[in-house]
Amino acid sequence: MFRREIWRHFDFFLFGAVVFLCVFGIIMIRSAVAGNVNLLGIDQRQAQFVGIGIAIVILLSVIDYRFWASISKPLFIVTVAFLAVILIIGQASFGAQRWLDVGFAVIQPAEIAKIVLILVLADYFARAENSKKDIKWMVRSFLLLVSIVVWVLLQPNLSNSIVLMVIWFSMLWIAGLPTRYVLILGGAAIVLFVVAFPSLEPYQQGRILDFITQNPEATHGNMYNVNQAKIAIGSGGLFGQGYGNGSQVQLRFLQVRHTDYIFSAIAEEFGFVGALTVIGMLVFIILRCLRIARKAGDVYGAMISYGFAILIFFQTIVNIGVNLNVIPVTGLTLPFISYGGSSLVSLLIGIGFIESVAVHHNIG
Amino acid sequence: MKNIESQPTGFENWRYRVIYILLGVVFVFFAIRLFDLQIVNGADYKAQAEENRLKEISVQTTRGTIYDRNGYVLAQNVPSYDVVITPANLPGDAGTVERIYRELSDLIGVPVTNGTLTDETAKAFTACQTDFGIKEIYTIGDTNAPFSPVKVKCNVDEKTALLVKSHASDWPGVGIEVESIRSYPTGSLTAAVVGFTGPITAETKAEYEALGFIAGRDKVGFSGVELTMDEVLRGTNGTRLVEVDNAGKVLKDVRAPVEPVAGNNLELTIDTRLQSAAEAALTYEMDWWNTHLGKIRSQNGVVIAMNPKTGEILAMVSYPTYENNRMTRVIPAYYYNQLSQDPLHPMLNHAISAELPPGSVYKMAAAIGALNEGVVTPDEQIECPGMITVTEKYSTNDPGRQQPYYSYDRTGHGICDFLKGVSLSDDVYFYKIGGGFQDEVPNGGLNVWRLQQYAQALGYGAVSGIELPGEAQGLVPDPTWKRINQFENWSVGDTYIATIGQGYVLSTPLQVLESFATLANNGAHMKPTLIKEITDAQGNVIKPFTPQLLWDITKDPVINVLDDTGKPTGEKKTVEPWVIDYAKQGMREVVVSGTASKIFKDTDLELQSAGKTGTAEYCDNVAQAKDLCKPEAWPTHAWYTGYAPYDNPEIVVTAFVYNGGEGASVAAPIVQKVLQAYFDLKAMDSAAAGTGTDTGTNP
Repeated sequence: MFRREIWRHFDFFLFGAVVFLCVFGIIMIRSAVAGNVNLLGIDQRQAQFVGIGIAIVILLSVIDYRFWASISKPLFIVTVAFLAVILIIGQASFGAQRWLDVGFAVIQPAEIAKIVLILVLADYFARAENSKKDIKWMVRSFLLLVSIVVWVLLQPNLSNSIVLMVIWFSMLWIAGLPTRYVLILGGAAIVLFVVAFPSLEPYQQGRILDFITQNPEATHGNMYNVNQAKIAIGSGGLFGQGYGNGSQVQLRFLQVRHTDYIFSAIAEEFGFVGALTVIGMLVFIILRCLRIARKAGDVYGAMISYGFAILIFFQTIVNIGVNLNVIPVTGLTLPFISYGGSSLVSLLIGIGFIESVAVHHNIG
Repeated sequence: MKNIESQPTGFENWRYRVIYILLGVVFVFFAIRLFDLQIVNGADYKAQAEENRLKEISVQTTRGTIYDRNGYVLAQNVPSYDVVITPANLPGDAGTVERIYRELSDLIGVPVTNGTLTDETAKAFTACQTDFGIKEIYTIGDTNAPFSPVKVKCNVDEKTALLVKSHASDWPGVGIEVESIRSYPTGSLTAAVVGFTGPITAETKAEYEALGFIAGRDKVGFSGVELTMDEVLRGTNGTRLVEVDNAGKVLKDVRAPVEPVAGNNLELTIDTRLQSAAEAALTYEMDWWNTHLGKIRSQNGVVIAMNPKTGEILAMVSYPTYENNRMTRVIPAYYYNQLSQDPLHPMLNHAISAELPPGSVYKMAAAIGALNEGVVTPDEQIECPGMITVTEKYSTNDPGRQQPYYSYDRTGHGICDFLKGVSLSDDVYFYKIGGGFQDEVPNGGLNVWRLQQYAQALGYGAVSGIELPGEAQGLVPDPTWKRINQFENWSVGDTYIATIGQGYVLSTPLQVLESFATLANNGAHMKPTLIKEITDAQGNVIKPFTPQLLWDITKDPVINVLDDTGKPTGEKKTVEPWVIDYAKQGMREVVVSGTASKIFKDTDLELQSAGKTGTAEYCDNVAQAKDLCKPEAWPTHAWYTGYAPYDNPEIVVTAFVYNGGEGASVAAPIVQKVLQAYFDLKAMDSAAAGTGTDTGTNP
């Protein structure tokens, strides 16, 4: 397993870029604490998660990814059962909760759902590679999605449910979804949105309406955060106000600056150049993942790499889009940089799988 | 690339290409958006960030203290404690908040919840004046400005304030705000002079904000000396440009702060002890008469005491007045309405704002005029019957009709010379010298035009410039005025009536005082003033007291020489000093043998003082409403002005009692008591100062 030729195909560029962003994330989180006693020490915690995550990357990269295909079915069943139990027990004892405290860390079931969904769908599409791309083929994959997403949706965690749906759709797409189904699914998505909008939580409706109307009155809520983010980004200028010197960050006008709005903090302290560099690094990582997908030895490996590339891509554009106030507020993190162990580790698990695909692309 | 495309993944390349295009489009769009925010509009956002970060704080100055002439405090600043809640600092946990509300409610007595919140009631909310419970006040504060403290209960005592402060750790978000408010230790006794402060109003907002004052926080002079001397007292607010965090917490000064400059202190000329004696004398006299008569005759009056040589007002009582300590925090609407609807007008300082018929005290103008113009000589014998009849003519061709003019004493006083005329205040003597009578006082006597000159020289008909708001001018009528305002020509009878200070003549009590002070001071008319000196916050005198001479009628030519039609010839003249000597002798005789002799008999002041009584008939709207204006028996105001020692006066006192009846029996005793109090206090002060032997003025 630890043979030298494994490392010949290990993607050090991808790995390097990921480690760079993780370390940069720790540095940025340190700045984002900004004297808030409740946030003290989160940079050290993040560093621990980065350490754990990198170890997982290396561990997963040496394990042949095909192993996961072999346990796809039990993995799926155990995960669905786990999600259901967590939701039911969680609601019975704590009310609606999006995370599970297991003592040493907090696990977000939605993060597990993302990983397992990609693995399970990759397995499904690999097996069904040669079958007809018809409605039956589509509905089967849809059932796999539904059996996982329903538990996330019931938490309720709308943004991660959308992430799961996007993963499903993008995998369908690459697997060869006929164009007419794309149109049908697009139409269905719009209808679903219109029908489901009234049943959204009031705060979710508010976020969407605030975004559409750009309600300037909402000074004490979501709009406040969005506006402060805009000011933070704008005041960064070309080169930024300097690390630890952004007034919006350091005086805490920018809220949730260590997670959802860390991109704004980066833009304020490192300016246009810094923000573009971070975007560039993320684009590089996505392209690297897609490259591995295209070089993968089989459909399963390609699907895994592609799935995680889409996950990173989607989370990146949603997070930065919220920061730039071009889409409504949602709670998705900026990959590798935002504070949060669950999200970071799940993404690094994905990188581990992709590295495994790279390492093992010829073997087997 | 060929190599990649030939990989057996089976995915169509165009599907990848769509993903790449999507990726490219989105990130290019992001880059453009970033460029727009950071480069194109960067300066704007930077400015907004600065606006977030920087806050200009106005550092409240302290208003100057007002003292009386002996250093007794009349107005000062005291701390007032308000219980406040900063909504954003309350804990997030609803149970804890409930506990805090409950415990706080028990301590300060404001219910946890009370009243219904609607848009209207929330808009009408005024801190310190609300029935809302803590929850409602919290909601309003949280909606308006979550980081600003909102007052839950105002003006709690120091003990409660300390208790609230001691709960700082288990009642997060609850605190104490210390506000500096005005306190008037002498309250209503000096309210008419000292006045009170109030909030910056919509009308004055622009002016005060330009001076750096904060509407809603800073208080400014509203009435009395607090208003007229506002510029001296108010000081200047300091400013700090500070960096704040998002909780509004001040982190540091961005530039050197401009420290506030405390207002200057004011020492008034008032002697609170004499003020108190004057008020007591006035109320005692009114009560005595009301009791004696078995009905409420008089309820309001004025006493003013002044040093005629310097113009220092030693006491100024306008009774009834108001309690200025009730205005210090807010001006309560119900109290203000009550005061403004009170028929006795307690908000008005009657000493300077009431325009009243002066009656016989006004005769001194005619007295000096007649002597100075040579209408009569001091020794000239004039018949003083109880009544004279003149032909009333309203124009040259008017055949006229016979009109009787009575003296207050229908039996008459026989033959009068000048001193007798003044001391007995003989009306007929003054009719004759004022308006002329047949061949006895030919050529129309002094006449109304010349009377006006002498009245004005004594200070009637014009404001004195005393440091109080709302000073009235009074009225020294002349034929032109009558034609314009009454559409009628002036008659001889009008001159008679004007000579004795009745009819159209109106003056304020202060003007009456000034006229006597001018005579007592041998013609030098000092500007009446309430300001002794101005000191800065460290106690250094920055404006010492300097008496201000307005004019000296024996030196400054203030009398216009008039032609036969009453027009000024351009020539001016003074009043001869001997005329004033005679006037003073006349006023001395008032006490020794005249109208006030009974009151002053056997008192220390019989030997020392001079004065003049006045009983002024009036028929104003109040009297008409009470149906008091009966022909020949109009109600009267009581006046008396006295000064002492008569040969070297230190104090002149005017007492006025509205509907007081007779000047000699009602107003003179008040003046007598105030003069007595003045000399008693002087002796006390001398004794206290260790000089002991200086009792020469108080034998």
